Amino acid sequence: MNIPVMNVLGLVQDTNVMDVAKMGAALGAGIVAIGAGIGIGRIGSAQNEGIARQPEAAAEIRGGSIILAALIEGVALIAVIVTLLIALGVKV
Amino acid sequence: MKFLRPIAILAVIVGAIAVGMRFTAHHEGGIFQTLYMHLMPAPLVEVAQHGEHGEHGAHAEPLLKIPLPSALAAFDMDRKGHGHFLVATNLQVFQLAAVLLIFVCFLGVPRHLRNGGGDWTSRMFSGFAGWVRDEMVVPVMGKEVGNKLLPLFLTVFFFILFMNVMGLLPGAATATASIFVTGALALITFSTMVVGGMVVQGPIAFWKHLVPHVPLALWPLMFAVELVGLIVKPIALMIRLFANMTGGHLAVLSLMGLVFFFGGMSPTVGWASSPVAVGLAVFIMIIESFVALLQAYIFTTLSIIFVQASLHPEH
Repeated sequence: MNIPVMNVLGLVQDTNVMDVAKMGAALGAGIVAIGAGIGIGRIGSAQNEGIARQPEAAAEIRGGSIILAALIEGVALIAVIVTLLIALGVKV
Repeated sequence: MKFLRPIAILAVIVGAIAVGMRFTAHHEGGIFQTLYMHLMPAPLVEVAQHGEHGEHGAHAEPLLKIPLPSALAAFDMDRKGHGHFLVATNLQVFQLAAVLLIFVCFLGVPRHLRNGGGDWTSRMFSGFAGWVRDEMVVPVMGKEVGNKLLPLFLTVFFFILFMNVMGLLPGAATATASIFVTGALALITFSTMVVGGMVVQGPIAFWKHLVPHVPLALWPLMFAVELVGLIVKPIALMIRLFANMTGGHLAVLSLMGLVFFFGGMSPTVGWASSPVAVGLAVFIMIIESFVALLQAYIFTTLSIIFVQASLHPEH
């Protein structure tokens, strides 16, 4: 099934739905990386500030921030799996 | 006598790799496909005698086949054959090896904890077990509940840890890189959450306490939201472990495939690119061996936090 809009733009010839879906999956994987990077970066900066202020609480702060980073990572990985399912064309 | 236990540990690991390699079919095709197929769980098949079977394409008969009702078709592993079957794969070899490793490593631990005897392997693993109790379980759950649920979390932690670490060895399969294995582990956490909550708070009070104090009109909506939250927690556990273990292997695979991709252009380019690709793959492998330890910790810690949250809801 051709999508006329893409052909009008003159960028892509013979585009079909799966190609557009794959482009969306690739864009999605990139956006996921941005979001997870911002989130884990903020956790890391706060962790370093916290440890610099209170070095005696370093172990607890580190443990807590690993768990929080894992929670963000979990959301990012769910998005990656979804993009992988789109890219592979898995029918659910 | 001193080296009996380390030798037994090595024997279990080497034996699992040998069994896994002997009873899986070898994949033919391009080099990249051959590498990629090592990520997929391979069914255990009978060893083909030379000359007896056809050269290629002969569908080797699986060693162990259990028929499934058609309602469980999603678990069908033998997609080429007729009907739905549960087929033993090389992942099960490494799961069994992880269970055996737990037995071998921890049989001497109680004796060491009682009277301080035992070889250095027992000392090391009793230190690990003490760390899991003192740093992971007791600070979250407290001493009383923590000591009751400690065996479960110790088993989950070391089972995942051994499977992750064995998956890094050459010729081995990573059992935790299959979503069915991690799904089963997450199901254990989920049933502990629900059954434990119903035992501690009472069967009806658990579902009533799922929702914090809200206006009555909001109650049905909040109940649905909390129900979804209850189910999403183990699903996130399942996908996190699976995707972390698969992702590391995929990154190594992509870097190694780069060598053959460039080698296909011209052998000189392939040789020139191989030091860079192998160096990056070694770097990813170092990260992956850290991730293998970290993910076992994360899975267990999050299980502890989720179970504790469903045992004692916030008021």
